[in-house]
Amino acid sequence: MGVNVHIDSRYFLFYMKAIVLLVCAAMVLSCSSESVSPERNPYEFQTPENFPEALYTFQNNPVTKEGFELGRALFYDPLLSRDSSIACANCHQQAVGFSDPIHTLSIGVNDREGIRNAPAVQNMAFQRHFFWDGGVKHLDFVPINAITSEKEMDEKVAQVVMKLNRSKMYPEKFVKAFGDGEPTSQTMLYALSQFMNMMASSNSRYDKYVRQEGEVLTADELQGLTLFNANCKSCHATDLFSDGSFRNNGLDASFDKDEGRAHITELAEDLGKFKVPSLRNADLTAPYMHDGRFRTLKEVLDHYAETVKPSETLDPELKKGPSLGIQMTEDEKAKIIAFIKTLTDKTFIQDKRFSNPFLK
Amino acid sequence: MKKLFSIVTIFSLILFSVSCSKDEVTPGPGTLTLHFDNVVGDADLELNTTNTPYTNSKGEVYKITTLQYYVSSITLKKSDGTVFTDEVKPDGSTGYYLIDEADMESQDVVLKNVPAGDYTEATFTIGVDANQVNQGAQTGPLDPAKKMFWSWNSGYIFMKVEGVSPVATGMMGTAFQYHVGGYKEDASNASLVNNIKTITLSFGDTAPVKAGHEPEVHLLYDINKFFNGNGGEISFTSNTMRHSPKSCVDVAGNIPAAFAVDHVHAN
Repeated sequence: MGVNVHIDSRYFLFYMKAIVLLVCAAMVLSCSSESVSPERNPYEFQTPENFPEALYTFQNNPVTKEGFELGRALFYDPLLSRDSSIACANCHQQAVGFSDPIHTLSIGVNDREGIRNAPAVQNMAFQRHFFWDGGVKHLDFVPINAITSEKEMDEKVAQVVMKLNRSKMYPEKFVKAFGDGEPTSQTMLYALSQFMNMMASSNSRYDKYVRQEGEVLTADELQGLTLFNANCKSCHATDLFSDGSFRNNGLDASFDKDEGRAHITELAEDLGKFKVPSLRNADLTAPYMHDGRFRTLKEVLDHYAETVKPSETLDPELKKGPSLGIQMTEDEKAKIIAFIKTLTDKTFIQDKRFSNPFLK
Repeated sequence: MKKLFSIVTIFSLILFSVSCSKDEVTPGPGTLTLHFDNVVGDADLELNTTNTPYTNSKGEVYKITTLQYYVSSITLKKSDGTVFTDEVKPDGSTGYYLIDEADMESQDVVLKNVPAGDYTEATFTIGVDANQVNQGAQTGPLDPAKKMFWSWNSGYIFMKVEGVSPVATGMMGTAFQYHVGGYKEDASNASLVNNIKTITLSFGDTAPVKAGHEPEVHLLYDINKFFNGNGGEISFTSNTMRHSPKSCVDVAGNIPAAFAVDHVHAN
């Protein structure tokens, strides 16, 4: 809307000078008013106003309603796992921002315990690296990791494709989404990416406040925002609330249990580093950290204030003060938490488009 | 006699010009095949032998159970210097070839629509580079269902060499596994391993693509040279289960010199 007003006044000045230009302006205006349809296509990917540019390769796999719905079915279908016991949605539940509320370390087939806490699936189109160690560099490959990990779905990609081909329901859905041909690993992954790409969380109270959509934050929340900007934003940057980097936040002094990013890069300088998680919906996505060791946001802030451990790779941002970590009073912690809670997006967790299609 | 001579001359001139123009009318594109023949020294490689018939440079005997590798980004050079580039599509449907010792057909890389000419050199990559992985889900030879995909560290295994040596003592007993992969994902970090190898081989002969000719260039890949070369001399006595980029830097370094042109069939 703001753009239209801008064009309007610009062309108004031209009109004062020449009628020809007015005609042009009228044409431009009529065109632009046509493109602003009253209801936007709910299956068209759009970058929220306050977000950075999306990174996904939409040119290879544009979102369609049929592809999205197929991806949604696959996301909720335990067929993807070896014994048809576990779906993506088991560890990525909508009510808690598509994270795992129950398990510190997420649980796969045969109750096998994983090594890390399942991260929240949200705003995937904007991420350069996936998983705590960033081992996956494209959204399309994210499901392969979960499908083939023996601690998660413990299934082979070829086997899933075979099950899809044999199913009564799927071959037709694949044809609708991708044209003639049998389901393949590529189209299966494309469908899942279409579904996940649409899962943008961008309508929290904070978003509406920052986009000036009539939302007001309380005094405590606003003070929390100021404190957050001063103490947390160097890592939890942009309106994605993560700079996407890998950092050691002082949880441990040795990394035998989980070497983190170094597992991928094979570099000593990356020992104990994990991807900075987004704080969107953080109030819902407990437990926290790569191993789910903290149950509450208060425990997380207590860690930054009091228990940051020194090591070779500890992040420089945590070595700036008189002692390790981030110096915060109890009152400051409470205000930062009040602010983080404004990042909860009720629209996202209640959005019917993302709910279980098998429960109708 | 003079008359006869001039008739012969005129006739042969006509013939010559006809044959010339015929050549010019049909210089359409043709087919050139790169045949990848996997060998061990002078012997043809045989998979899953009952004994361990091969010996590495350290004198350790072994057999091979799996040999698979990706060939990509192929270019062919003519004697006049012009270059044909095999098309690579973002979805992997063309331009990538998975050579599998267990699948005869896979060992012939048939390049179609190659412009007519005398080809003298081929350049190709062993592996799948970052540009391709960053395009997302792939199909054809790059379908992750082909078990050449690393899920934990997304990207492809460029070359999979698996076998058995009685001197090996790894997690799987006498079995050894060398899964070569790893490409540079970040130009700002030179420490990240890039095991992509680009190889240029001169044919030493010409492979003529023209009407009636579908030449085949017979390439050798010597697995014994995979275990010994500029990258390093490999022993099966330690570090025999290799599944990360860094652990395969030495064997990856041995790959380029293990390829050679044996001969060209003009066909």
